[in-house]
Amino acid sequence: MLVSLVLGVPLLFLLAACLVVIGPDSTLSQRAKLAAYPIGAAFCAAIVTLYLVATQGPITFRLYDPESAGSFAFPIGFYVDRLSAVMMVLISGVGSIIYTYSIRYMYQDAHAPRYLALIGGTTFVLLCMVSSANLMMLFLFWQILSYLLYILAHNHSHAGTLDGAFRTFTLLRLSDVAFLTGIVLAHFLYGTLEFQELFVRAAESTATLSLLPGVEIRGATAVTLLLFIGGMGKSAQFPLFIWLPRSLYAPTPVHALLHAGIINAGGFLINRLAPLFGQSPATLHVALVVGTLTAVLGATMMLTQNDIKKTLGFSTIGQMGYMIMECGLGAFSLAVFHLIAHGLFKATVFLNCGNVIHKARQDPEFPHADQREEEEHFSPLTWSTGFFTTLAIPLIILLVTHGVLRIPLLESQGAVIILFFIWVTSSQAILTLTRLRAVASWKVSAAMLLTLLFVVLVYLFAVESFTAFLYPNPAEVASYFQAADLPNWLFDLLLLGATLSTISGWLYLYLRAHGRSVWMPSWVDGVRIRLYVLFMNRLYVEQAYQQAGKFLLRLLHRIDKHTQGWSQR
Amino acid sequence: MMNEIVTTLLASVPFIGALLCLTVWSRSDYVKQTAIVMTIISLGATIALSPFLTVPPEGFLLLYLLPLAACVSILGQPTHETHRSAWVLTLVFLGLGVTILASHGVVGRLALLVLFGLVIGLLSRHHSALWPMSWWGIGVYGLGAVATVTSAMTEPPISTIASVLACAVLLPLVPLHSGYFTALTRLPGNLPSFIVVLFPAVGLHGLVMLTPMLPNNVAVTIMGLAVFGAIYGAVRALAQSRMRLLLAYSSLSLFSMLWWFAAAAGITTAWASVFVGAVSFGTSGLLLAWQVIRTRYGDDVDPQAVSGLASTMPRFAVLLSLTALAVMGLPPFGVFSGFMGLLLTSPIASPAALFVILLAWLATSWYILDAVQRLLFGQQRPDLPITDLQQSEFAALLMVVLIVIALGVIPAGLLGPNIVALSPNDIMGPFAWNK
Repeated sequence: MLVSLVLGVPLLFLLAACLVVIGPDSTLSQRAKLAAYPIGAAFCAAIVTLYLVATQGPITFRLYDPESAGSFAFPIGFYVDRLSAVMMVLISGVGSIIYTYSIRYMYQDAHAPRYLALIGGTTFVLLCMVSSANLMMLFLFWQILSYLLYILAHNHSHAGTLDGAFRTFTLLRLSDVAFLTGIVLAHFLYGTLEFQELFVRAAESTATLSLLPGVEIRGATAVTLLLFIGGMGKSAQFPLFIWLPRSLYAPTPVHALLHAGIINAGGFLINRLAPLFGQSPATLHVALVVGTLTAVLGATMMLTQNDIKKTLGFSTIGQMGYMIMECGLGAFSLAVFHLIAHGLFKATVFLNCGNVIHKARQDPEFPHADQREEEEHFSPLTWSTGFFTTLAIPLIILLVTHGVLRIPLLESQGAVIILFFIWVTSSQAILTLTRLRAVASWKVSAAMLLTLLFVVLVYLFAVESFTAFLYPNPAEVASYFQAADLPNWLFDLLLLGATLSTISGWLYLYLRAHGRSVWMPSWVDGVRIRLYVLFMNRLYVEQAYQQAGKFLLRLLHRIDKHTQGWSQR
Repeated sequence: MMNEIVTTLLASVPFIGALLCLTVWSRSDYVKQTAIVMTIISLGATIALSPFLTVPPEGFLLLYLLPLAACVSILGQPTHETHRSAWVLTLVFLGLGVTILASHGVVGRLALLVLFGLVIGLLSRHHSALWPMSWWGIGVYGLGAVATVTSAMTEPPISTIASVLACAVLLPLVPLHSGYFTALTRLPGNLPSFIVVLFPAVGLHGLVMLTPMLPNNVAVTIMGLAVFGAIYGAVRALAQSRMRLLLAYSSLSLFSMLWWFAAAAGITTAWASVFVGAVSFGTSGLLLAWQVIRTRYGDDVDPQAVSGLASTMPRFAVLLSLTALAVMGLPPFGVFSGFMGLLLTSPIASPAALFVILLAWLATSWYILDAVQRLLFGQQRPDLPITDLQQSEFAALLMVVLIVIALGVIPAGLLGPNIVALSPNDIMGPFAWNK
């Protein structure tokens, strides 16, 4: 019964895809609608699975002997714990919404059957991936996903799309090879690819690898670094992010699935292998750096794009950077929380963005320009309210979290950094609100503060509850935070630097928004313009890849030309 | 004794088929039908009689695949009188192949010599002044024949080295890959699409016997050549615009990986059969698909001149894409299974070499996908006459796809006697892990 339920979730999506594909064109509309029923049933089955897993423990089902993982290529098995069950509910839920929406949205589109079937097929692959019982099965579906991304981003007759799809696949294969190397190393080191057994053996192992004389790297670090590179590709981390903006020609429902489901694969991978990553502080630090870099660059590039899809695409890259950064801080459950929230949010935005594009095509004046310019006046009351609340909110958060939720605040750097980000987000929200004229009132300021307090409290409570649900053992959570700890001096420096830059940025933006002039050296404007152009062109990373590819091909052709052989005949 | 009788029975089926084809020579369609029926009978006979054969170390997989490959290659060829001799020769090659794989004695070696002789004769007959390189190929097959005789007449280590040379001619390894290239590009009709399965299968059969006996310095030399071959094949394939050469270099790269694993492990498991079978069948399928294009647009068609076939030939597009995915090493196809099986059951002799092997593996996705994308997508050519796959072509390509999928998902127990998962201690070997 349990096994049927677990298998039913992905298989119902596959059934839906088959329903769409198989049959005459004349019945496509009916078949597409009919396929929504198994998809809805899959979502219900995923919810039931989550309930059963939460109350009765993990469900395991294998079609092979786990003792001899190396003796078969396809060790098909399912291991559904709380993490898998949560992911299954998210993926099947988002998949159901996107599919149902797409039936009408893609009506009369020449490629509708292909895209509808691909939505069903991709969701099937995602569901199998998140419920894999071992690393090999996970990798198997991981690779299929790489190819599905290629055909999802495909428009047969559009040269730019074809080029982008080809690059997407080759880039993803690059990270797939790193993933594969990680699997091979893990198998060689620990002799198993079964998750639970792998974690136990990795914890017991003290294996190291000599890269160079005198330079040694821990086995777990080598494995996790390679697996992390595998995850970087799917989750569009710097510098492997360029495939995402290149795939923006696909229909918007496909994007919704891509941005709400597929791209979360990296975060899921790290969480699935959390006990392994928890043994490797070096990998977590790399993840922190890569994630932070991606978040900063993604968000900055987002601000300079002039196309709604590209803006959303870079927003996703930035959010994925945050997600990986959270993993790098040891806050694995927070990354899952983030990917769920981001998935739901981005799916909604992308589904709506199609309508906005249609509307903009019909109405040349849409989106409507602002009716009037913001009044340029400076209110000391507003200014001081905003400044005070920006400083006060972190104190309130500290008190609330420490007192009400009993969160150990100073025991881990990760918690402090995450609270720091809550503070930054809050100050940004206040900044946005205080730019409105109506805020120049104590009532509005008080309401705003209370709302923020409520939001932060609910958010932290939800995060804490979710962490307890996903990782019931508090010692395990603490060990991940501990593994991610930076040297104290570096941590203090980072925190101080980030605080100063945030406050000064806040002051600068606020004053500029209210028409106050802020003295700046003249060269700053020049640099700002150059940076704007640089970020608008996405740091020319795509061009760099393109040039590197052309150079490589020229080199290969030259080698081919100068080598006597079959090609010259 | 029983083994020799069964081998004779199995080999006689295709030989009789060849004779039967000669009796209906005047009717091309009859010749084709007879050849196909005889390959199916050969497959049935192989399945029925294989329990009476001594199980070879690599298992019976390759023995089963040979009649299937012959059937598919004949089926995918359009019916025309110019192809009759190729169909008959396919049956003759099949008979020789079955004899070599099933027999372990002198008969097998004699069949191998005949095989070399036959292919040398065919290549000499189809030699063209435009392809002077094919003399190299003919010479390499001559070397293979000499090596086979030498291995029979000498003692180890000379016989071992001679056997390795013969295997390297059949299962291409740098610098003896010219023979394979010549066969793939110069043989007439459907023969290339069968030869790409037959020769590597025979080569692997020999290699399986040899690997446990390889002297250390020979194994190291092979590993070096294999790593070079893997990257050389990949690099040259990336620069190719001609489909057959691209496939030749691609196979060289992939088979070199197998040589590396075999030399590093000192033992060849049944995963090698899966890998060789899947790579061969995938390559054979791509050759058949290319044959479909050549049939419609001529022998010298430039792949770049034909594009946008996905819209106009959807059945062809789907089957070509699936076959390409198989050769690229994506799951659930056999190339992926075989490669993973080899990776997880072989020791890491050198991390640097493994890195190169994985790079070559990655490059496969690049050049195969590039070639397929150029054919299937892009600007449509309304000026070109379009005909989607005919029934026999469709059946042949579909069979290829099903076979490479079957090779990917085949249960481990059916593969062979020595599918074992090595313990970490076995696998570590000389690799510098400190535990």
